[in-house]
Amino acid sequence: MRATLWAEIAVSGLITGGIYALVALGLNLQYGLMRVLNVAHGEFLMLGAYVTYSLHSAWGMNPLLTLLVTGPAAFAVGLVLHRLLYARALEGGSPEVLEGRSLLISFGLLFTLQNAALLAWSADLKGYEYLSSPLRIAGAVLPANRLVAASVALGLGLAFYAFLRSSMTGKAIRALMQETDGARLIGINVPRVHAACFGVGIAMSAVTGSLISMLFELTPFMGLPYTVTALVVVILGGLGNVLGSIAGALLLGLVETAAVYLTSSDIRVIASYAVLSLILVLRPAGLFGHK
Amino acid sequence: MNRTLGRVVALLLLGALLIAAPHLLSSYYRSLVLALLADVALAVAWAFFSGPTRYLSLATGAFFGLGAYLTAMVGARLAWPLPVVAGAGAAAAMALVVGLLALRLRGPYFAVFTFGLAELAKHALIWYEMRVTGTVGRLLLAPPGPIALYYSVLALAALCVTTAVLLRRSSWGFALTVIGADEERAQTLGIDSTRVKVGTFALSAAFMGAVGAAMAPRWTYVDPQVFNPLVSFQTVIMALIGGTATVLGPVVGALFLGLASEILLLRFRYLYMLALGLALIAVVLVFPGGLSSFAVRLRGRDTSRPLA
Repeated sequence: MRATLWAEIAVSGLITGGIYALVALGLNLQYGLMRVLNVAHGEFLMLGAYVTYSLHSAWGMNPLLTLLVTGPAAFAVGLVLHRLLYARALEGGSPEVLEGRSLLISFGLLFTLQNAALLAWSADLKGYEYLSSPLRIAGAVLPANRLVAASVALGLGLAFYAFLRSSMTGKAIRALMQETDGARLIGINVPRVHAACFGVGIAMSAVTGSLISMLFELTPFMGLPYTVTALVVVILGGLGNVLGSIAGALLLGLVETAAVYLTSSDIRVIASYAVLSLILVLRPAGLFGHK
Repeated sequence: MNRTLGRVVALLLLGALLIAAPHLLSSYYRSLVLALLADVALAVAWAFFSGPTRYLSLATGAFFGLGAYLTAMVGARLAWPLPVVAGAGAAAAMALVVGLLALRLRGPYFAVFTFGLAELAKHALIWYEMRVTGTVGRLLLAPPGPIALYYSVLALAALCVTTAVLLRRSSWGFALTVIGADEERAQTLGIDSTRVKVGTFALSAAFMGAVGAAMAPRWTYVDPQVFNPLVSFQTVIMALIGGTATVLGPVVGALFLGLASEILLLRFRYLYMLALGLALIAVVLVFPGGLSSFAVRLRGRDTSRPLA
């Protein structure tokens, strides 16, 4: 009995962590590269979830296929937002002023998107059934859709890691993460890489949302908790560190699941905000210790 | 000389009007003016700390909520102005702790930290009330009359504006500006930046807690949702729309947005909050100095002078 409990925690924790990994990777890409602390990150997850829900319930589209819609659409939205809002906000001024400015813009975006979703889909819970038949793994029983969602999320995260490692564009992104001025000197088109990475970050969030819509009921308020989680993961895993984000997400998923299994579910929100505050106090040097 | 005299006369007139208002206005307009005065106090209190230091605080909702919840918990046992004093004291104490913890955080980390703490306080309170006391909210028994509430909030708003004006003219206020410009240099110049920052943060929080305590009796029922992040954001937007370079800026911003929210929030809740988000983006991108600096720039006047 004891072993089953731990197996359940392990499987369920890794699945939760796999989903966190992709959201966190998206945030890391925005923050690690251009210092945009996008608190509206989770709102794109919420929008992705709603778009998938709408496509599935209106036209019966396969939820997994909707990723081909939400991903590219979110990428395009990211490019536009970067051009309209952040590219302008990040001109002139000290880094601190610019970070504050882009944070305020992100908060404005959060309000705008959340209330747009409330207008479009109302505050009622929405959901659908897909692949919910139970599956048995290592003694733990869980619905198949959770395994599918986590595998796709983790797979996309690792694929992005491979892309960073092997392609020329990936090298340019890594160079930018390490040293902006140096990257500019060797002829990397900084604004273009920034815009593309912002788009990819948003797309990762939206795609995760599409996956999550198979698992949980949707509300327009579901985004912010994921933003907080992603922030914690980015802090845990390190700024601009892709593998660190994935490892941090899996670790957080395990710890959180264990906490919920061993105590009660209403402790989760308190725990995530407490961890966030604690880490901020303990690691204040730009969080990641590199300036 | 004449201008100073004109200002004094205008201020006295305004004061007389505000004091006479509750006896002249219908209960609807009295409560509208009350809400606007509370908004003015919150925005001015936010701006006299966050304006010069550029520490973007999103904890307003937490301080306001603490005052309001405290009134709901102990209000019935204390004579009227005492809950307001208690709210101010509790919020200032919380701000001292938060300030000392968040002291080393700069830029957006301070903002995220204050936002996270406000949410943490709300969820911890919900958890505590459900698990330990078994209630999810509290009824306000025997609240003070509407006229007493009006004068409490009027006094708080007047006190807050006066504090902001005096602060700007004092060496303490100058120290805040220096800290905002370059904290390390401020320390080199012999400014005890910890004391100045945390002290002012606590003073600003005291006003927010007092306003929360004084506004709580307007609702007959208070629950942990009174720790509302909307209060934090609305206050920031009010101050920024008005501009934090002057004391008048946040006052104008509070009146403008306070009226808008009073008219629109109940009828078009989502549309109003959507517009609020767009307004925040627009203010940051188009008028980084706020509307008052924009107006001053149009008239070609110096923005750095206090307009109070």
